[in-house]
Amino acid sequence: MDDDPVFLQLVADLFTPLSQGSWQIHRVGSADAALNFLKEHPVDLIVVDINMSVLDGVQFLRILHRLYPDLKKVTLTGFATEEKRNECLANGAELFIEKPRAADGHRSIFVMLDELLNWAPKDGFQGMLRKVGLADVIQMECLGRNSSVLEISNRQMRGRIYIQDGNIVHAAVGGVVGEKAFQKILCITGGSFQLLPFESPAQRTVEGPWEFLLMEAARVRDEAASLPSAETETPAEEPEPIAGPAVRVAETLICSGRGETLHNHQCADPGARVAFLKDVSQQAERLLQTLPLGKFDRLEIHLADGRAIVQTRADRMVFVRVTPELAAA
Amino acid sequence: MNEAFTQWLAAHATAPGLLACGIRASEISCVCHAASEKCPAEKMEKILHQLAVAQPWLFNEPLAPRWSTWTFEHGQIRLVNRPDGLLLGMVAAPDAAAQNLDQLAEEFLALPPAG
Repeated sequence: MDDDPVFLQLVADLFTPLSQGSWQIHRVGSADAALNFLKEHPVDLIVVDINMSVLDGVQFLRILHRLYPDLKKVTLTGFATEEKRNECLANGAELFIEKPRAADGHRSIFVMLDELLNWAPKDGFQGMLRKVGLADVIQMECLGRNSSVLEISNRQMRGRIYIQDGNIVHAAVGGVVGEKAFQKILCITGGSFQLLPFESPAQRTVEGPWEFLLMEAARVRDEAASLPSAETETPAEEPEPIAGPAVRVAETLICSGRGETLHNHQCADPGARVAFLKDVSQQAERLLQTLPLGKFDRLEIHLADGRAIVQTRADRMVFVRVTPELAAA
Repeated sequence: MNEAFTQWLAAHATAPGLLACGIRASEISCVCHAASEKCPAEKMEKILHQLAVAQPWLFNEPLAPRWSTWTFEHGQIRLVNRPDGLLLGMVAAPDAAAQNLDQLAEEFLALPPAG
């Protein structure tokens, strides 16, 4: 994004051949045009000129970061100062680049941008919640039966998830603990995480299989994301915990992709459940043949007295049925 | 099909996030509306028939659903089961508010029995 059409044309002419067709470059000349474009098109990276004649580039960067925390942002300026650099990096920019004055400079910028596009954190020891999702890291730790403390933070909150021998045993964020804290942490869409050596938490506040916890958190996150923007746009200093009805896990079955039972909790007929999971997987495939909606994520079944969630993957299938806590008591 | 159901469906066919919707009474009695070209009415109808056929063997006790939601990367399919056998199908955008779909489901379930 730059209000200088000549510069935009130059960049497109230089970068298109350098990327050997792997980049699609879209050019916009104003903040309005950029925001409109982003509404309609998924973009991996945006380069913003912060010294445009009408707009305060840093302010735009701040808005952009609030609306698209996962979008990689690079700022470009003809007048670089240390103060500006710090300001841009503090407002969500991954790179702060000075406009080049020669063709070689453009090539260097291309290399930097290409590197940033392909960058992904390694092994999760210190990474941004971008290419590797938080849920992926938790899943990795649980499947590996590891013990660790995952510390997640962004500008609004800092939370911790305690994993012991592959089980999620405690979660805390602000004054909230337990499953609600876990769900709240999983709702974070941008920020950073650190995997710390395990230390025993003061209390154990989370029970139940990690697969269910992750699925439930995904459901809560989806619901939170679908709230009207006015309710989610303003970041609160300490957001309210996401309320959810207390539930009891009535039945859990986890099996391999081939149907071998890996974990059974109160499932009376595992064979029938495995057959059901396979049927769900086949049915999802049939639905996709009719309407290509992308990868199947889950099936939720609302029952008269609770809910069941099904996830099927090539390597693992999960069935969890929950009933309301009060009904179960 | 009962006129009240077809009117209700037409009135809600453009609810936020809804790409298409339909009500199925039987193999030959199905009414569908499309709000987006992403899901034409004929595909909605096919989905309804597919799921109607699959439901009896897919869901046994204690899994008799009030409604079920198939969530995919780029959309979701909600199927609502009435005790009188009518099925409401909704294809919605992935970010469609679950509360909206829940509300439509509850309304559909609360409509007087088909006469």
